[in-house]
Amino acid sequence: MSIYIVKRMVLAFLLLIIISLITFAFINLSPLNPAVVVLQAQGIPDTTEELIRQTEQQFGLDRPFFVRYLDWGMACLQLDFGHSYVTNQPVWSTLGPAFVNTFKLTLVSSIAIMIVSVVLGVICALQVGKKVDKTVRGIAFILTAMPSYWLAALMIWYFSVKLDWLPTSGMDSYRSYILPVLIITISYAGIYFRNVRSSMLSNMNKDYVLYGRASGLKESVVMMHILRNSLQVAISIFCMAIPIILGSTVVIENVFAWPGLGSLSIRAILSRDFPVIQAYVLILAISFVIFNAISDMINAAMNPRLRNGL
Amino acid sequence: MFITTFKSITILMVLTVILTACNPAKDQPNNQAETATKNITYATAKDINDMNPHLYAGSMPAQGIVYESLVENTAEGIKPLLAESWDVSPDGKTYTFHLRKDVKFHDGEPFNAEAVKQNIEAVQRNSEKHAWIKLSTKIKACRVVDEYTVELVLAEPYYPTLAELSMTRPYVFISPKDFKNGETKDGVNGYHGTGPYVLADHQPEQYATFKANPNYWNGTPTIPMITAKVLPAGETTYLALQKGEVNFAFTDDRGADSVDVEAVEQLIASGKYQRVQSESMNTKMIVANTSRQASPVHEQAVREALWYVVDRETISKDIMGGTEAPAYTLFSKNVNDADIPLQERAYDPQKAASLLDSAGWVSTEGTGSRSKNGKPLTMKLDYDSNSSSQKIEAELIQSAAAAIGMKLELTGEESTSIANRRSTGEYDLLFNQTWGLAYDPQSTIAGFTSQNAYLYATQGIPEAPKLYKTIDQIMTTTNEQTRQQLFTDVLTIVHDEAVFIPITNGNITVVAPSDLKGITFKQTQYELPFEQMSFEK
Repeated sequence: MSIYIVKRMVLAFLLLIIISLITFAFINLSPLNPAVVVLQAQGIPDTTEELIRQTEQQFGLDRPFFVRYLDWGMACLQLDFGHSYVTNQPVWSTLGPAFVNTFKLTLVSSIAIMIVSVVLGVICALQVGKKVDKTVRGIAFILTAMPSYWLAALMIWYFSVKLDWLPTSGMDSYRSYILPVLIITISYAGIYFRNVRSSMLSNMNKDYVLYGRASGLKESVVMMHILRNSLQVAISIFCMAIPIILGSTVVIENVFAWPGLGSLSIRAILSRDFPVIQAYVLILAISFVIFNAISDMINAAMNPRLRNGL
Repeated sequence: MFITTFKSITILMVLTVILTACNPAKDQPNNQAETATKNITYATAKDINDMNPHLYAGSMPAQGIVYESLVENTAEGIKPLLAESWDVSPDGKTYTFHLRKDVKFHDGEPFNAEAVKQNIEAVQRNSEKHAWIKLSTKIKACRVVDEYTVELVLAEPYYPTLAELSMTRPYVFISPKDFKNGETKDGVNGYHGTGPYVLADHQPEQYATFKANPNYWNGTPTIPMITAKVLPAGETTYLALQKGEVNFAFTDDRGADSVDVEAVEQLIASGKYQRVQSESMNTKMIVANTSRQASPVHEQAVREALWYVVDRETISKDIMGGTEAPAYTLFSKNVNDADIPLQERAYDPQKAASLLDSAGWVSTEGTGSRSKNGKPLTMKLDYDSNSSSQKIEAELIQSAAAAIGMKLELTGEESTSIANRRSTGEYDLLFNQTWGLAYDPQSTIAGFTSQNAYLYATQGIPEAPKLYKTIDQIMTTTNEQTRQQLFTDVLTIVHDEAVFIPITNGNITVVAPSDLKGITFKQTQYELPFEQMSFEK
């Protein structure tokens, strides 16, 4: 198992280096002079040659590509992502709080997604082919197909404006979580509960279930065994939902004015705040790699056959 | 294993609850019903950002209520603000300002000649960043005469001095105690101005609150608190306005309306809101790059023909929903020094076609498009893809131009790319707008000679040398009448040459509670005088 973990981590580190290099290269492919970009991001209305030269020196933009990449990479290892072009504050001072805000939303949503997926998945698997199964799947199909910004606007109108139960937007109290979490859960649980359902169904037809029943085990005990084996899927869902939601909350955050990574990344992209964009991509990549690794390790722990797959 | 999984899930859940609880459930003023009717909470797409008034990252509406300048630009001309009065020396090089004696910064520091000197010198030490404001290149010294008298010495007479001193930035005053190592260029320690509102709380990317300044020299403002709430999505702004979480919205500084025309209509129909519109603030236009020798745009007849195929009435009525008036000149008549007789060129495709015919651009058999000496009549038109209206306007103009055999190729790009094209001259035609009443005409005209602004647009016309000489004279002449004549000359040249093809006049639209009184506008499209507003009792 420990060899597996070491292999997994070395692979993850290599992956991060490749991702960071690609990000850095893509941003530097831009035809604009980076110093001009810095000045435009700062809102400076007019630039002079002298100012451009000063800015290049200040941000070290006059050095060769690989020198800048190495410097940036080494600084990143110490959690120093540079300074934002727009606010001139350390990137981490804006990215940090935004990451925490999005992570909170993501964690609550992932738990809601897992609970809803497991409950609905189990119910549908037990009632397979019956009315309940068909209705749940039908409704889930329709809800998942709705664009989330549209669904969000509808929900805000109904719950916040018409019924006056919840705030329309912002991050003031626990009540602010309800609508965004609901929208994210609807978008993802509708897909994930199918995985739980089919996993349950395939387990229910396995030999061990037949033998269990034949040897007179109580139905509840048999169910527990089925559930335990099917939960492997739920854990994968949980682990993979976190980075996916982290990286895809842009629309939800924009609609709900949630001060998180999604809104930050959009603003950074529109104002070409390169240090923020680079740090954002890197952080998302790290989340993906970490959660992917966690998911693999848990699965490997639960199922020894997977350990030899690497 | 099953139990361990459940354990970890439980731990995660507890962690989530703790994290959620850690979230500061701040009592936002707008959530309190009893104050909701007395305060203003305005929706803004962007955070107020760094409020340092000597740099450019901050939100101008917010800076406008915290900081003040020596003088104020009004529809009636320059009026006193922090300076009670001023004298200009006969040679036009020395401005002596007599300051108000009853002004204090928000942190209690006195506002006096020394504070003015320190602020102006801090701005001048970072003058490269203020190159757009020509005054920054003319100031030679700032001297303290006595505690409340300060002298500004210029290298040469410069007529827009007072107008440029009145702008939201950079010549506004922040408490010298906020300076970092005697400078403001690398950030400041606080945001204490002299204005009617004091920055009280700022949660980045969420909201900022401003409290009425109890020691304001012009009397404490009636509305006790102004909140700027960040709402990036227009739909949410509309719903938050309906619910009353925000009660004020206005056109943002890029000219984009956060709430669309129809939604505003519905809010007004509900009786809770009113709409107030300013007079024309700027002119939206197409800039032609006359210096592009290889492109048909170099030729006056082609530019004039394009002017005739812009159907401003339709754009104003159908695309802008009547919120913007058609523009027939670079500056509207209410702009200082711009009320001069110029030939009006309305929508007239036939006239456009005959102009092209006489200039030798003839239709090629079969294709319907024109060419001259084998060169096709094709130009590129770049628009800002972030603008909600420019693309539709461009398509309307494209189809009208196609009907007379002129081919326009449209490209939508980000605002920064458009700005970059303008300063490198890599364009035939692009959408742009004048800078606003406080900056027009002097700053926009000064931009004719600036590479970053309109140098490429103007330098291809035969009268360019004369144009630039006249602009230089405008800036340094001290005679009012001569200046008016020079302005007339400049505006006539660029009008006749059809360099700037006007489309509509933009303005500020405010959506505010129906019982809010005293909604007026400043001379810039970037700020609102909140201190003059009050709710009906």
